[in-house]
Amino acid sequence: MSELRAELGVYPYVPAVDTEGETALSEMTNPDPLNLVVVDDDEEVRTALRRLLRAMGHTVRVFASAEEYEATPVAADCLIVDLRLPGLNGFELLERLRLRGSSTPIVFITGDGGPSPNDTTAHAGTPSLAKPFDEHDLIAAITRALSAAQESAP
Amino acid sequence: MPPTTNRQLAVRLAVSRALGRTRDPDGVYGAALEALSECLNVSRASVLLFDPEGVMRFKAYRGLSREYRAAVEGHSPWTPDSVGAEPILVPDVTCEPSLRQYLPVFTRERIVALAFIPLVSLGRVIGKFMLYYDAPHAFDDEEIQLASVIAAAVAFAVERGRADEVARRSEAAPGFEPSAPPVGISRDVSALWAAEAFQAGQRQVLEMIATGAPLAQVLTLLVHVVEDQCEGIVCSVLLLDADDVHVRVGAAPSLPDEYSVRIDGQPVGPRAGSSGTVMQVGQPIIDTDIVCHCDSRWDVLREAAVATGLRACWSTPIPSTHKKVLGSFAMYCRTPRGPSREELRLIETAADLAGAAIDHHRSQLALRQSEERNRAILRAIPDWMFVMSSDGVFLDYHVKNPEALLMPPEAFLGKSMHEVLPTWLADAHQRAFERALATNEPERLEYSLEEHHERRFYEACIVRADGDRLLSIVRDISDRKHAELDAAAQRQELAHLNRVLILAEQSGALAHELSQPLAAILTNAQAARRLLDQSPLDLDELRGALDDVIKNDKRAGTVIHRLRELLKKSTTVLQPVDLNEVTREVLDLTHSDLLLRRMPITTALSPEIPPVLGDRVQLQQVILNLILNACDAMSTVAPAERELTLTTVADDGFVQIAVADRGVGIPEGQLDSVFDPFVTHRAHGLGLGLTISRSIVLAHRGRIQAENNADRGATFRCFLPVVNGQASAALASSHD
Repeated sequence: MSELRAELGVYPYVPAVDTEGETALSEMTNPDPLNLVVVDDDEEVRTALRRLLRAMGHTVRVFASAEEYEATPVAADCLIVDLRLPGLNGFELLERLRLRGSSTPIVFITGDGGPSPNDTTAHAGTPSLAKPFDEHDLIAAITRALSAAQESAP
Repeated sequence: MPPTTNRQLAVRLAVSRALGRTRDPDGVYGAALEALSECLNVSRASVLLFDPEGVMRFKAYRGLSREYRAAVEGHSPWTPDSVGAEPILVPDVTCEPSLRQYLPVFTRERIVALAFIPLVSLGRVIGKFMLYYDAPHAFDDEEIQLASVIAAAVAFAVERGRADEVARRSEAAPGFEPSAPPVGISRDVSALWAAEAFQAGQRQVLEMIATGAPLAQVLTLLVHVVEDQCEGIVCSVLLLDADDVHVRVGAAPSLPDEYSVRIDGQPVGPRAGSSGTVMQVGQPIIDTDIVCHCDSRWDVLREAAVATGLRACWSTPIPSTHKKVLGSFAMYCRTPRGPSREELRLIETAADLAGAAIDHHRSQLALRQSEERNRAILRAIPDWMFVMSSDGVFLDYHVKNPEALLMPPEAFLGKSMHEVLPTWLADAHQRAFERALATNEPERLEYSLEEHHERRFYEACIVRADGDRLLSIVRDISDRKHAELDAAAQRQELAHLNRVLILAEQSGALAHELSQPLAAILTNAQAARRLLDQSPLDLDELRGALDDVIKNDKRAGTVIHRLRELLKKSTTVLQPVDLNEVTREVLDLTHSDLLLRRMPITTALSPEIPPVLGDRVQLQQVILNLILNACDAMSTVAPAERELTLTTVADDGFVQIAVADRGVGIPEGQLDSVFDPFVTHRAHGLGLGLTISRSIVLAHRGRIQAENNADRGATFRCFLPVVNGQASAALASSHD
């Protein structure tokens, strides 16, 4: 668990493509376990992400739709949201959160070859990941989302 | 019609033969009753003759009580001198005022309908035939004609019997001069002898007719027979041509050639002599003096007639049994006078005989022509015909091009089909034979054979012929079959193109369907590696991760498999298919696309539907097309108002799958054309989706229809036949 904390703390801006291999990961320490929320309608993806992020030491809550998440809002450090959802999609959820004044960082994941991890979307540089994605890329995206939120904070 | 004429002739010959066998008067009456009941199917009949006092007396009867006979004996509509007597028909005795006095007798005897048929000999009524019916009877022409034919023959036989009697008496007592005429006969012996000779001649004519001698010969004999009867008389038979306009010479052996030449080919009418004119007027004409006659009808022939020494001409029309005039019989006389009663009767009898000969000739001609026509048809039609016994032996064949047969005729004639045909084909024929014999309905059999490295297709129609024999009519349907197969191949090409286009359109959705399991696999694998580094090991979580890796790998494999199925150019594979399952497979594939496009989908899949016989991929394709079509129809509708409903339900031998949308609907007047190619309202695509869907559904022997919903949007319904023995056999054979 300490490795991930280290990773997030020590290398917040390191791009995913630049990881130095798996050994680096085990040396990483992360002093701050995060509260993460995953919104994905695909149960398999949802379960896998919860398993991985928990193995990294984070607390994870999962939801099958934007509506389900909104019905049970939980405080989160970062949201990992599938773009293509039944009902409200990922973009719409982001818009609603921002309209309500929430600045919770968001990472988009998409299944149909959407924006690449390094692209900035129309939605204010929200990091996006195309499935299937590597855990390094996921970590990098979360890190970027967190730092972007810090920068834009007043 | 020819059959009528033939039947009359047959009856005439049969009766005269039957009568000819007996010279005993009672035998004659018995034979006559026999002939009547046989030919007319009458159970009650009688023969009555005038006695010397001119009173009708029963001579023979069948099925009549003594009381009845006593009550009606003596009644006659004719007197012994009546000339030109015609049959009198009483379809219902209660409606006949002249018979009112006999009504109680008829009622007791259960007689409701009657016919009086006069027996006429040499123009005189000598008696009558009676036919009795116990219900109102509508007489038809044919039965009356037949009765008249029998009556004529009986009258003849009666006269002959009497002549025999006279002859016997004169032989027994040479020099016997009858002081009074014998019973019922008012003529002298020589006349009777002449009548006897005439009868012999007449019989000879009838025999010639029956043996099918050429018409000219028959008529020539008739003319000679008549000419032999009368001193100084010359006769001719003229015929009315088939065009009903021109006169042809039938027989005029004693007239000069010039006469025949002049009259032959003349139009019927006023200038063709009296015998040409009678055909037009249909009545006898007696010209007592040609030379003095001012009538223009002799203008053409007068010279020829006079040059031959002929002065008078008496003609009568030759009637057909159909009351049509066939020609005329004429007697020419060398002295300017009218005919005697005898001669007049002779003319009429001769005209009747000529009529029989001409009728028979024409019916034979018609028969021969129809046979020739049949043969021509046989030659013209491309089919092969085989006459088979019920156990499959080839008895006969009719083939226009025997060289096209599988083997020469001598190789199969007289042999069982099991010896000459492949076993499977012989078995199939045997089964068809059994069905055809059992049902009396035509049986169809389609099969193909490999010949000279080429597949030929045949269709056999098997019908029961006479008795237990069967007629197998075989047609080479290879051209049609090959065209059908080409069309099927083309349809498959198009269907494939349509699937490729669908998949191209759907590539985003398909990528999504693959990336989900791949993401789950990678994430689980990386989670597992992290879990391995932990202590203590969380084995349950580790196992869960690995299980999910396996599960999602399989999930990705399924997607790839379905894609491959849709993309490959497969031939049709028919198998029982659960339409609900096919629908779910399609929804699995399109699920994410529908999500993305905001197309909420509702399904109402009846769990009760029976399987249909179909090609899984093609049926998927139909449903895919209908779903995509529905989505396109709703693309301009606000997302909240969209609704796509898929329904399956069993429907009377079919399974119906309906795809309903709440889109723009189908414009009025396009409900039928929406299945036509290139009719599309879509911005992309070829507009072939619905066309191909229809062709697929039709190839499955189903149907597809479009309708607008009452409130909004359209519904497309497919009906696919449920698997059963018959349908699967039909589809299986179409797929051979």
